Amino acid sequence: MNSLKNPANRAWLILIIATGITWYLGEVGAAGTAAIVAMLAIAFVKGRLVILDFMELRDAPLLWRVLLEGWLILVSSLILLAYWISLK
Amino acid sequence: MQYKSQAVAKPYFIAAIGLFVGQILFGLILGLQYVLGDFLFPAIPFNVARMVHTNLLIVWLLFGFMGGAYFMIPEESETELFSPKLALAMFWIFLVAGALTIVGYLTVPYATLAAMTGNNLIETMGREFLEQPLPTKLGIVVVALAFLFNLTMTMLKGKKTAISMVLMIGLWGLAVFFLFSFYNPVNVVLDKFFWWWTVHLWVEGVWELILGSFLAFVLIKTTGVDREVIEKWLYVIVTLTLISGIIGTGHHYFWIGTPEYWQWWGSIFSALEPIPFFGMTVFAFNMVNRRRREHPNKAAVLWALGTGVMAFLGAGVWGFLHTLAPVNYYTHGSQITAAHGHMAFYGAYAMVNLMMISYAMPILRGRAANSNKSQVLEMWSFWLMTIAMVFITLFLTAAGILQVWLQRVSDTPLPFMVTQDKISLFYWMREWAGVAFLIGLILYIVSFFVGGEEEKAK
Amino acid sequence: MNRAFFIWGRSIHPVRLLATMQRMSEISPATEQASASSKRLPGDLAIWFFIMAELVAFAVFFSAYAFTRAKHVEMFNLYQQTLDRDLGALNTLLLITGSWFIVLAVQAAHRNDQKAISRNILLGFLCGGGFLAVKVIEYSAKFGAGISMSTNTFYMFYISLTFFHFMHVILGMVILAVLWLQSRKGVYGSHDAHGLESGAAYWHMVDLLWIILFPLVYVMR
Repeated sequence: MNSLKNPANRAWLILIIATGITWYLGEVGAAGTAAIVAMLAIAFVKGRLVILDFMELRDAPLLWRVLLEGWLILVSSLILLAYWISLK
Repeated sequence: MQYKSQAVAKPYFIAAIGLFVGQILFGLILGLQYVLGDFLFPAIPFNVARMVHTNLLIVWLLFGFMGGAYFMIPEESETELFSPKLALAMFWIFLVAGALTIVGYLTVPYATLAAMTGNNLIETMGREFLEQPLPTKLGIVVVALAFLFNLTMTMLKGKKTAISMVLMIGLWGLAVFFLFSFYNPVNVVLDKFFWWWTVHLWVEGVWELILGSFLAFVLIKTTGVDREVIEKWLYVIVTLTLISGIIGTGHHYFWIGTPEYWQWWGSIFSALEPIPFFGMTVFAFNMVNRRRREHPNKAAVLWALGTGVMAFLGAGVWGFLHTLAPVNYYTHGSQITAAHGHMAFYGAYAMVNLMMISYAMPILRGRAANSNKSQVLEMWSFWLMTIAMVFITLFLTAAGILQVWLQRVSDTPLPFMVTQDKISLFYWMREWAGVAFLIGLILYIVSFFVGGEEEKAK
Repeated sequence: MNRAFFIWGRSIHPVRLLATMQRMSEISPATEQASASSKRLPGDLAIWFFIMAELVAFAVFFSAYAFTRAKHVEMFNLYQQTLDRDLGALNTLLLITGSWFIVLAVQAAHRNDQKAISRNILLGFLCGGGFLAVKVIEYSAKFGAGISMSTNTFYMFYISLTFFHFMHVILGMVILAVLWLQSRKGVYGSHDAHGLESGAAYWHMVDLLWIILFPLVYVMR
């Protein structure tokens, strides 16, 4: 379990599992509000892991962390908004 | 100046400024014809004046680019120009061909000119901006090839820097895309499709590389910032320019008979075109702020900063204003386009040429910079021309918005000419701003003849 | 000179508006990474400017897709079913793993393990190659069925988005190839990982984009 001390390894493991979950949700034909929110939430968590642990912005100047994470929040919110409109 | 052969740039710069004056005079004639329809008719009809105004613009910018390149490449390559004689010969060929073309436009009807110059051999005339008769077009190709040969040979025997590589890619691209002016398919859709390969891929593609490398060159010289830092920014700007500019060609492919996906590709990628211009502004201010020396030529630095800002506003912001397909559906070919065209050409290409001339001319005349008195005058000309152009743009934008509203959006749309009458107030104001611009340009020229204590050349 | 400076001083005023940019550029390069406690932007400022520009481009594309879908929900749901989710998920795994190898390469550089730098870059590159191969299989099935950008709006977006991303994978792999050649010359190490970190950041961006793109286009309905 020593290798899990490396944040990159932990991030990789979580990313792989999360991808599996998204794929599985697709396989069982999940659709509708709950499925959309779940998949977006998973994508958000995955994106954040890439930004913080792969791009190594966890310890970067706040400005750049805000720019990248802000991008992720913006994109997810816009997608959520569009899907919310489509469900109405 | 460091290399004797850089002197060939001088006649090119002088010709460029001379033609620029001609362009502005015809601009004023045109502006007046917008409100007084029969002004100078039938001597100079509107369509001829317009053709002369736009053709002079292109030709003087090309003279400026060539002069700038002849000045820059020997210095960057650290060697004399391959053949100064060839450069001078090409200067006279280009100048005479250009002058004859303008005389042709003004003295014979366009159709007669076409018949006289062998347009029936290859039909290339009659397309906006590419109206030149066949011999002129062939002349441009010969001059461009000799020019590129000369510079490429110079570079091959000397040092190859990133900045001169970017310039050469830009200039080669300029020549290659001009070849599409000879390709004129009968099918109107294909005609327009490839026409843009010259027009758009020039001003929103390869010309931006020329702009970027000139800007980088003058910034290195005037700020003393490390070449490495400047080159890095140049790479980023060039890549963004090419990605957004090339695919952005799609913003000309809305509703002309091309597939629908161009509305998406064109809208999205051309919406990104302001980013490299924004990068250029940040780049110019950043480098000037980190300057390691105070260059005596303050005027050139002012032009360098100005071109970044004005190119971003004119090409970037005013371009974005009407680039999205749903917006362009209403604004296409209105005065909004004219507003964008004026500020973009001035901000990006007129100003970068003026910057290069401002930097190089004193050196070509044997001093590091003009006298203080002369520079103060030049800065006044900068502000006068730039502010006049801002007003021209604002008035045309107002005219455009009104035009789109009255003629296209309103429930009871008015005919074209009625609309034109209703917006004539803005055309008058634009004309006065144009007069202010001409005064600015005259001051610019005068500033070169003002004496005073000069800085010695290094 | 005073008057000249007056006019000139006015012109340079906007510089203050850009003071934030200035501060960003003053962040020191990779050479002082030993002091891990200090806040440091990995890689070059220029590459981050470039990455932000790319992210904006994709943000526009993603929202264009989502909002257009809201107008044609049934069409999008119908044709989404024809996409190969298995291959899409496989490609996600390939990019995530490719990204992970590059992180390992950067970590190896910081502890001066020269062999591990090159090996991990190469493995990351191979993951990218795998992605391209899978994508080509997927595309040939679609194009073989006669689907094009003009078939319908859904396919227009599917092809546009994935192809634009495809080109980014290729660019990322070109960068990785350069990094690999440099790493074989021993350019990177704890003394200087600046170039490696810059290339790595770009490669992670390619991964980040696919992480949004896959659920959006292949799965969410």
